[in-house]
Amino acid sequence: MKARMLDRDDVLKIVDLLRQQDYEVFAPFSGRGRDTWFDLVTDENRDRIQVHLPNPYYAPKRFLLPHIERLLKVRRSNGEIRIEPTYREPKRAIFGIRSCDLAGIWHLDRFYLGRDFRDVYYEKRRKNLFLANVVCTDPELDIGEECFCPCADTGPAARDYFDLQLMDLGDEFMAVAGTPAGEALFANPMFRKATEAQVEKRRAILGEVRKHFKTTTSWFPATVRYVSQGNILEKTWEEIGNRCLECGGCTYVCPACTCFTVSDRQVGPDEIERVRIWDACALSGFTRMAGGFNPRRAVHDRRNRRFFRKLAHYFIQRELSMACVGCGRCAAVCHGDVGMPSVVEMIRRATAANDKLEPV
Amino acid sequence: MNWAGQTTRSPSAATENIYLPKVAVLDRVSDDIPEVKTFYWHFEDAAEQAKFKRFRPGQFAQVSLFGIGEFPASLPPSPTEDETFFTIRQVGSCTAALHQLKAGDRFAVRGPYGNGFSMEDYYGKNLVFVAGGIGLIPLRSCIVYALKHPDRYQRIQIFYGSKTPKELMYLPNLREWQQSVGVECYQTVDRAADSWSGNVGVVGSLFKKPGVQVPVDNTIAFVCGPPIMFRFVIKDLLAMGFREGDIVSTLERYMKCGVGKCGHCCIGVAYVCVDGPVFTYEQIKKLGEDI
Repeated sequence: MKARMLDRDDVLKIVDLLRQQDYEVFAPFSGRGRDTWFDLVTDENRDRIQVHLPNPYYAPKRFLLPHIERLLKVRRSNGEIRIEPTYREPKRAIFGIRSCDLAGIWHLDRFYLGRDFRDVYYEKRRKNLFLANVVCTDPELDIGEECFCPCADTGPAARDYFDLQLMDLGDEFMAVAGTPAGEALFANPMFRKATEAQVEKRRAILGEVRKHFKTTTSWFPATVRYVSQGNILEKTWEEIGNRCLECGGCTYVCPACTCFTVSDRQVGPDEIERVRIWDACALSGFTRMAGGFNPRRAVHDRRNRRFFRKLAHYFIQRELSMACVGCGRCAAVCHGDVGMPSVVEMIRRATAANDKLEPV
Repeated sequence: MNWAGQTTRSPSAATENIYLPKVAVLDRVSDDIPEVKTFYWHFEDAAEQAKFKRFRPGQFAQVSLFGIGEFPASLPPSPTEDETFFTIRQVGSCTAALHQLKAGDRFAVRGPYGNGFSMEDYYGKNLVFVAGGIGLIPLRSCIVYALKHPDRYQRIQIFYGSKTPKELMYLPNLREWQQSVGVECYQTVDRAADSWSGNVGVVGSLFKKPGVQVPVDNTIAFVCGPPIMFRFVIKDLLAMGFREGDIVSTLERYMKCGVGKCGHCCIGVAYVCVDGPVFTYEQIKKLGEDI
């Protein structure tokens, strides 16, 4: 058996082990109600780390792609210009990252590192990142109203791409290593070899957990086909667009959104810094060019863009994954109820209704 | 781009910083037409200059004015020419800042980016250039390059129109093209004073002039200009019998990175910065957005 078992009380000792290895460890904490967040673990807050809790809206994507990130520092003196790239190369671990967010990072890796140009800022942050995944098993705490990872095939238990995966089996936890870095932790005597019966129990629990998702019928395959073939009626896009308030919230909470804008700011009399900032395709300035021409003036053209980019077959093939991981955050934050599950449903229904190929 | 949808390119191996511009020095500025100036420049670092000079016609570069921002600019020079320059119309804050610069001032450039014209695919073909106004800027590189290699291409025709005679771009080049043997260059203006002896009318009207014969078979047509001109010229060319795949243009979009990451220029299945800016009309139609 590759899997290991550890006592309930020992789970947070993994955080301690990581901290002893000089990792800056980020872990989930909770305030009142739905208020949850990832924070840096310190001696003071270590005991308040939550293993089961609603997934924070502010996704751990930000540890790889900060909301605002400095790219360059530029100094001017005597007509000369000195440009200095500013890199951050932290040794970080995210403890308690959910399977959906793990899939998000997988997608970001494909996008930022796997194409014609590699993003060196992302690469440096990614290089030493340790991912300790926690499987969502608690139907009350872990699984939210909007969660639909079974539809995106990313959860509740990630199959790969973690350094270490932890799953609550009730009386104790099961740990699985995905990389040598995760495997190395098993040298600690608190990990015991798992038995076949315990692996069987894991399977049984996962089978049961799947029943607690409210949305299990987000029909991605049909929608991907309709979007890729361009079969979606303009009217359907307009209906989706009419419900969009252009707040950009869906993109800011999305663990798989990648767009950014770049801005220069003055930080001293002769010094500026160039930063990149998350951007959102919902905002009208996203495509507006100097001179004022905007090829995407209508709201629905911009909404169309978001869902086309996430669901078109061409891009799925290009990044080897759909740019939706089923975390449900967009559905939770959207005031107009045009998060991903609703849109998938709207597209499927409208397009199917329009389909004249009924065989009767 | 591979339109079958496969990723064929492998990621760049070396970890270089794709967002890092290099310092450039402005050599001189020439006033072309109202609001448009040409900026001759070189990289401070000679090695950088040599690397940059390997660009292809139709590619573009990102120009940095620190404190203001960065913008994409097409590369009007041909790689066969000695000087590197941008021809820029003043439209927004970055271009306005660039217009303020004097010889000796420093700014920064990175690139070249984009697919460029696939000049090798055009070997043995006729090249027909149709430009309106400052649409000549992105085509200039290709024209100069083609004229430098007359053995590679058959007939070369240039149709160029502007609003008034004052707004004709690259006058020295136009004069040269009109006088040289290997190229037929036709000009027109929308409105003209009495001193103008040339043609008056839209650029498409040149196709029907007596003595003008546009080759259609084995021909690539390059079209660049304002949206309205683009639509009418496309209509004319299609009526003449051009295939949609043989009509080529360059697109412009709001861009931040130029390397397929920031997402602003993504239309349809294409990132204009890496999959373009050169597209055939056949591809542009599929992308499904206004020019």
